[in-house]
Amino acid sequence: MPLIELDRVTYTYPEGDRPVLRDLSLSLEGGGCLILRGDNGSGKTTLFRVLNGLAFPEKGTYRFDGETIDRAYLSDSRRARAFHKRIGYLFQNPDTMLFNGRVFDEAAFGPRQMGLPEEEVRARTEDCLKLFGIADLSDKAPYHLSGGQKKRVALAAVLTLNPDVLILDEPLAGLDKKGRDLLTDFLVSWREAGKTLIAATHEESLADLLAGRVLTLT
Amino acid sequence: MSDRLPAWMKGSDPYEPKGRGGTFAARTLRALAGAIGRLRFQQGREGRRPLPALFKLVLLLAGLLVLSLARKLMVPLFFTALVLVLICFLPGRDLLSVLVTGLFAAALSLVLMLPAMILAPETAFNCLFLVWKVFLSVLMVSLFNHTTQWNHITGALKRLHVPGILIFTLDLTLKYIVLLGRLVSDLLTAYLLRAVGKDRQACSSLGGVLGVTFLRGTEVSRETYEAMVCRGFTDDYGGL
Repeated sequence: MPLIELDRVTYTYPEGDRPVLRDLSLSLEGGGCLILRGDNGSGKTTLFRVLNGLAFPEKGTYRFDGETIDRAYLSDSRRARAFHKRIGYLFQNPDTMLFNGRVFDEAAFGPRQMGLPEEEVRARTEDCLKLFGIADLSDKAPYHLSGGQKKRVALAAVLTLNPDVLILDEPLAGLDKKGRDLLTDFLVSWREAGKTLIAATHEESLADLLAGRVLTLT
Repeated sequence: MSDRLPAWMKGSDPYEPKGRGGTFAARTLRALAGAIGRLRFQQGREGRRPLPALFKLVLLLAGLLVLSLARKLMVPLFFTALVLVLICFLPGRDLLSVLVTGLFAAALSLVLMLPAMILAPETAFNCLFLVWKVFLSVLMVSLFNHTTQWNHITGALKRLHVPGILIFTLDLTLKYIVLLGRLVSDLLTAYLLRAVGKDRQACSSLGGVLGVTFLRGTEVSRETYEAMVCRGFTDDYGGL
């Protein structure tokens, strides 16, 4: 059974006059990799919103691990939180993801939510901060970091939840060489560990490296 | 190469959320998205052949003046009939929004008038008359707002020789309400996606959202000022 399955999904924004996504179907097995391509405004971010249960298709169905994800399903807060725990989403603009006073608290937010013991929270947070080379920033305020550092903090904050699926919207945009290398290495490791990845990127090299299925939105 | 990943990240967590949580953020997010949507909607929607904004604005101002000076019942009755006919042409969602705005203003003025009505019952009729006028005035302004694009309103204000600084301030205010509203909406979305348990620090997290919004607002205003300076602005608002 596919982990993610979209069946003829159509979505139009309330203020829009034509669908951003029209009759889109796709399926992705657990551990698979999907690379999204398309011009600006082709619906990549909208598709990510649908996959995260932030927008609901007006036609068609979205199934995650066999469950149909719609307004009714996510109206149960327990089911909604279990679903959100399984999908990690990195926004295109990390500025809008960081709302804690310290980098450490930002990354520790997820595991604390899960009610993990404080030692485990600390261990997971430190692991993720080290993974992206930002352990030295743990006492800094995320707001005052550079764009690339913010992106790495945002990704660490998503990963401490240990999601099953990672959705990345333009992951390499705004990163310097060190940041790009760290992230590329991480994504390769993520793939090798058999975890599911969906990424929108204009970077040919990253798409080739990850060797995933390519879906071009028009 | 996957050795780079910590051991806990290679597997999956068996996680079952306990209790209820995250509903406050979800509700706030829905309300905020609706409010921003309405603001954007008001900026863009006009009929196929709209009346010139200047004409509508002059009519509105004259109507408000006549209504506020009226002492006979006939005038508010006439305006009630006129406004009710006009709002019937609005789409359902707009009609509801216009009516709710008017009713809210009327209810507020009624509450303010209540002490006067209780302490001096002979003034009750005049007080209710005033509440009715408030209801009609707000309804008229709201109707104008729902049927006229914002840039047409500012154009009309300019032609009425309203000072540039006022128009400029109104323009920027509306623009940044939408911009900062979107920022709050995104921050709450990020919060919602990661608030997978019972948040014992919900107030602190939401305080963080407001703090970031405030900082971003300050930054945006500084950037706007610098962009204006780069385009020749010399702190002289008279030329706007």
